[in-house]
Amino acid sequence: MLKKNAANRQSRADEQIHIRTKAMEATADGIFIIDAQKDNFPITYINPSFQTMTGYAKREILGHNYFSLYGPEADPRIVAEIKHTIELGKSFHGEMLNFQKDGRKYWNLLRIAPIRDAKGVVTHYVGIQTDISLMRERDLEIKEQREAILHVTRVGKMAEFVSSLAHEISQPLTAILAYAQAGQRMFGDREPQIKEIFQYIINDDQRAAEVIRRLRVLLRKSEPEIKALDINTLINETVMLITTDVTVRNSVLKTELSGGLPIIYGDRIQLQQVLLNLISNSFDAMEGNIEPREMCIRTILKDPETILVEVSDSGCGISDENKGKLFLNFFTSKPDGLGMGLSISRSIVETHGGKFGVKDNKGRGVTFYFTISIKVVEAI
Amino acid sequence: MSNAAAIIYAVDDDVSIGRSLSLLLKSHGYHVETFTQAEEFLAIKHPQVASCLLLDIRLPNINGFALQEIMAQRGIMTPIVFITGHGDIPMSVKAMKAGAIDFLAKPFTEETLLAAVTAAITKSKVLNKEQTEVSRIKRRIATLSPKELEVFHFVAQGLMNKQIASRRGTALQTIKVHRGRVMQKMQAKTVTELIGFAKMAGIVPRGN
Repeated sequence: MLKKNAANRQSRADEQIHIRTKAMEATADGIFIIDAQKDNFPITYINPSFQTMTGYAKREILGHNYFSLYGPEADPRIVAEIKHTIELGKSFHGEMLNFQKDGRKYWNLLRIAPIRDAKGVVTHYVGIQTDISLMRERDLEIKEQREAILHVTRVGKMAEFVSSLAHEISQPLTAILAYAQAGQRMFGDREPQIKEIFQYIINDDQRAAEVIRRLRVLLRKSEPEIKALDINTLINETVMLITTDVTVRNSVLKTELSGGLPIIYGDRIQLQQVLLNLISNSFDAMEGNIEPREMCIRTILKDPETILVEVSDSGCGISDENKGKLFLNFFTSKPDGLGMGLSISRSIVETHGGKFGVKDNKGRGVTFYFTISIKVVEAI
Repeated sequence: MSNAAAIIYAVDDDVSIGRSLSLLLKSHGYHVETFTQAEEFLAIKHPQVASCLLLDIRLPNINGFALQEIMAQRGIMTPIVFITGHGDIPMSVKAMKAGAIDFLAKPFTEETLLAAVTAAITKSKVLNKEQTEVSRIKRRIATLSPKELEVFHFVAQGLMNKQIASRRGTALQTIKVHRGRVMQKMQAKTVTELIGFAKMAGIVPRGN
């Protein structure tokens, strides 16, 4: 009877070990075990995914020094750090660039942990490595795209700022010029010196005008790059760019995109700029919310030739007084705002032949919307 | 000075621009009226004299382009010279396509302004003359009987008497009589002249 129980226990333990081994063989992560008690840290176990990831065959790995597998081009500082960490009996966790047998690069998310015996002596190390090349590439791509949009936005703000300033200054310059020319004409003939003085005023006025003209040429808005675009794809890409911000701001961003929308023609970066501006405004509007912080981007086919894009939030809304001033340059309700975002967004939408506006939601918050015509905007 | 017969309107929300342009143009003998809003300009009577409108694009409520459209709808034919502090090329293209005489970027010199104003006044005179002529023709058309008007339409389309007779199912002689009366009432010496009148009155397209 006792014997039979012991045999049962044994068979259950065998089954457990069997399942654990199978699990290690099945996972897509590379798993390896190093013998810590031998000087050259030989590898004593690898799973199939480890072979695939490194490109080495089993016989080229087993019994060989683990660190030799990194390849000669691996960063020596990281290798030294790994050695140092595990020699202290600690766990290592980090990302490094590794090289396969044929020299191909891959990014490795590596975790190594010590295995101890009953007395606490480190006998082995177990390592798990994940190929994160795709993720790193995508992160890099997202970073580059964000930077491109930020750059365009900065240049756009500067151009809008200069254009606004140029307008404010050219108004009085126009008046001064006309006054002086009228004065010269009316009184110049009576007194040569008056004529001369008016001429000086005219000359200096034109000098100032020339400065403004040059400044304008320098910061002329770049022509949009019109290409065929799918608005839903554009929105999904934009949403991907700000996934981190959505999480950090403790918000929810939903999309309700109508299927089968016609292709539009527009400038990708400029339209992304509009979307990011609206999303970022929504974040700010919901800053004071305890909850919900919900944002939704919708696309709707308004008529066979017009697509309507809506960005709604559950934020603090916009007072009637501020609504009238929304699109004025330099108008802002944010302490650190410049007051250019919405006016730039509107001008982008208008150059795309669309309309831009805002309406109150039935519940909390507001909805900003813009339309895009599916027709190609007439080239000017 | 002949300039005194012409009226220059200026619409700009900047009072100083209006005042200074008014002074400058008055010194050249023009009669000048200034407004700070499009609505004020629309509210006045628009006499059929040689005129020109100096129009700012960014205005409160009704902007320059909107005013241009409203004027076209209401038949206010004063030629427009746009003046703007935004040196926007796309904007100027839009304005010119809609029939503006010129598009001046602020600040502009006296010479530029006068050249544009002179061109606008010249255009205005031509338009007014045409308008007078059109009104005269329309008055004559109003005296035609329904049958004569029908014959007038056919003639204007270039149809011969026989063709008109067969279309209307009327005797050729009757058509000849109607046609003679149309020529007489319209005061046309030749068929070509009659067709010209039809074009001016918009009975047949001008391009024909």
